[in-house]
Amino acid sequence: ECNSFILRKAEPKDVSDILRLIKELAKFEKMEEQVILTEKELLEDGFGDHPFYHCVVAEVPEHKQSSDGYTVIGFAMYYFTYDPWIGKLLYLEDFYVMKEFRGYGIGSDILKVLSETAVKTRCSSMHFIVAEWNKSSIEFYKRRGASDLSDEEGWRLYAIDKDDLLKISAKKR
Amino acid sequence: MKFKVRAARKEDCKDISRMIMELAVYEKMPDQVKISHEELERDGFSPNPFYECLIAEVPDEHKTKDGYTIVGYALYFYTYSTWKGRSVYMEDLYVMPDFRGKGIGKGLMAKVAQVGVEKQCVRLQLSVLEWNKPSLDFYVSKGAEDLTAKEGWHFLRFDGQTLDTLAKEAPKD
Repeated sequence: ECNSFILRKAEPKDVSDILRLIKELAKFEKMEEQVILTEKELLEDGFGDHPFYHCVVAEVPEHKQSSDGYTVIGFAMYYFTYDPWIGKLLYLEDFYVMKEFRGYGIGSDILKVLSETAVKTRCSSMHFIVAEWNKSSIEFYKRRGASDLSDEEGWRLYAIDKDDLLKISAKKR
Repeated sequence: MKFKVRAARKEDCKDISRMIMELAVYEKMPDQVKISHEELERDGFSPNPFYECLIAEVPDEHKTKDGYTIVGYALYFYTYSTWKGRSVYMEDLYVMPDFRGKGIGKGLMAKVAQVGVEKQCVRLQLSVLEWNKPSLDFYVSKGAEDLTAKEGWHFLRFDGQTLDTLAKEAPKD
């Protein structure tokens, strides 16, 4: 059983655990090959002059470590975005707790800590995306009052990759 | 028609606010605009800005019926993908109806793409309402992919009372 865990701000030393957990989550989302981020980038981008993200990690004591010997067993990555209608928002990019540590309220507490951060930093809202087939995650969020803006308002996510960005930016007027 | 795309300055916030409202009206959600030019000034022009903005300006002889020379804007910020790293998110792209079809939208977007590439972003993301056919066509022609259709991503949100409730339950340190 596991009710001794702590949540804390990630530090530079955590980047290898963070990358490990990112890859585990990507595997769960059936997109493991898409993770091209490296520890070096995570370090520069999270702990350099201009952080592109913030991270909270969940840690258990040594005697409760995972079956493969890890004590950092969950994380959430977020950053601040902007809605021209309501101002600052907290955007939850990734949120994951290792399978063997689920059911102990760790995920729930992470979400509460992030909500508290959102309120303290004057954010009107916390936004995130979920894959529609991910029923258990959708249930988790809806139980806590989340609304689905894609269903309710018809928003669709679009992306333009580097190659096309280069084409767009190079065109002369 | 000649036009110029440049980085917004603090004094442009009144025009940006005006156009944000025009875009909200087009998206059929004008009552959802809760912030004014004052918040835009505070949040975009402080030492730690939460967004960046480009504006499109026409010469005086082409000004609008109401006397405006600022006729379009693109508001964007940097996000982070745990798979690919730095990304740029284009939150709003708008050109006043009388100034469409002259390449202004393309010009604004090209500049956002250029800024993104300079900052080593691997991707530009945006969201579009599913009924907004002219916009969908515009973005698809630039190489945008519908990730909601392709990968099933939905936008979710915690706000207002739901966010406050979660925040109050956060574990104390």
